[in-house]
Amino acid sequence: MTKVLYFKGRVLLEGRAKGEALVSRRAFTFAHGVEPSTGVVTDVRSDLLGESVREKVLFFPFGKGSTTGAAWFLETVRVGNGPAAVLTQTAETMVVTGAVLGEMLYGRRIPVMADFPSTMAEVVRTGDLVTVETKDRQVTVSRGE
Amino acid sequence: MYLSPEQERTLSGERGEAKELAMTILAKVGEALGADSLVPIKSAHVLAHYSSLHEAGIEVLEKFSSSGGRFAVPTTVDPASVDLENWKSFGIPEEYAEKQFRLCAAFARLGGIPCWSCAQYQVCNFPKAGETVAWAESNSVVFANSLIGCRTNKITSGLDIACAITGLTPRFGMLLDENRRAQVAFRSTIDRPTDLDYRSLGYYIGRHAGSRVPGLDGLPRNVSSDELKHLGAAAAAGGPVTMIHYVGITPGSESLKSASGGERVETLDVGRKELDEVEADLNQSEEKPDLVALGVPHLSASELGQLAKLLDGKKLKGGTRMYAYTSSQAFDFVKRSGIMLDIERSGARLTHSTDAEISPLKKLGFDVVMTNSAKLAEIVSSEGEVKIRYKQIAEIVEEVTS
Repeated sequence: MTKVLYFKGRVLLEGRAKGEALVSRRAFTFAHGVEPSTGVVTDVRSDLLGESVREKVLFFPFGKGSTTGAAWFLETVRVGNGPAAVLTQTAETMVVTGAVLGEMLYGRRIPVMADFPSTMAEVVRTGDLVTVETKDRQVTVSRGE
Repeated sequence: MYLSPEQERTLSGERGEAKELAMTILAKVGEALGADSLVPIKSAHVLAHYSSLHEAGIEVLEKFSSSGGRFAVPTTVDPASVDLENWKSFGIPEEYAEKQFRLCAAFARLGGIPCWSCAQYQVCNFPKAGETVAWAESNSVVFANSLIGCRTNKITSGLDIACAITGLTPRFGMLLDENRRAQVAFRSTIDRPTDLDYRSLGYYIGRHAGSRVPGLDGLPRNVSSDELKHLGAAAAAGGPVTMIHYVGITPGSESLKSASGGERVETLDVGRKELDEVEADLNQSEEKPDLVALGVPHLSASELGQLAKLLDGKKLKGGTRMYAYTSSQAFDFVKRSGIMLDIERSGARLTHSTDAEISPLKKLGFDVVMTNSAKLAEIVSSEGEVKIRYKQIAEIVEEVTS
């Protein structure tokens, strides 16, 4: 039986994406926290340590750390290891900037959404299948149970 | 987001390719962040170090400089990934330095002020209270909002260049009165804080404020701007902090009540137990350090003077190096004043225009780094390649010198 849940958020960058959820419950940073050449999380304080963000729908509550986050994000996108979409509780400027540059320089569109109801953070889990469709401001989370 | 007719013309390419590119970034990012318009800035502070910008960042800067870009406002720059004068003597590989030099060349072509410091507000970029600026570098942002009383968001790399090229920044976040009020308060119960206490306190605030603007009460009256520089840097390394209302210090925050705009906010006490937890968290090793790294953010000339006093009559023990990181301006000053000789007599070295957290520590063969910087500890341990020992300066000097 597959359980399907829908969440509405604010669209920061348009697009559509589908992928496995990668969910952090802690503040997240690409700067010094994700190795661009592999897409793997290297931040020892992250609960995603060792996981790859590549083609995942990345969800975290809010950002932290160095303002170079956008550059790290952009390099990750440049070498093809970027996430499929990024969803955050609080709008995260580094991801937005990195994603805008990623489209301008390398033609890759990564939708970004924020301001979800707090229930989403409680429900969504790593491994869930997530579909992002910004036209409907909607995220669909499905999980086999 | 509203664009003026002139901004629309820039966006459509009438003011050249570089400005068109910059305006496109401002328009898209501004819209995404919920900005209502673009407002003029007095200065910009941008990032141009290879270790974070990577190949993609070089491509961004070169795209601006090769398409006729020119900074519209005074624009300073964060440290480089190598000591721009003495990189060879620090063992930096030539091909690594070459990448940094490409960024330096692009920054110079754009007309930037080559200060290469993360404490630019202490050496070459002096806004006044009430002004709007667009600064990258999280510690500078906290310093600007909290101590100078000017307004800036934490401008990310890429957006920083777009602000500098247009002289504009999206109006949102910390530019708006309603977002600058304290939403949570911290009360320090630490009597006579040490250098490490200030940094641990900042880090604790960063970890526990969440996305709320914090206020901080209970600091000693004689706290220095250098100590608050390190406190703010640690806070910004630990969480998304862009401003701290230092009660009795921050312009307009004479009391917690004025900081919060009259609202009652949650107050958290921070004492020895909390700071011990931070120390235990950041201190990852008890091994002998290969390197003592001092100055993330850059040490001021007066801090270098204090370091010289601490090192007076002491010699570094074998197997450990000590680097003190500073701005080029403070470096020149201590060189002429004799402070540099005093420091280097102990075997320690001064390095300028770069900083530890953005230099290739692992590539240079350092496995265990000792520091009193919570920011360095946080960043380096995030990367997981180098182990950190996090101690107060007196303990560091005691252990590594004889």
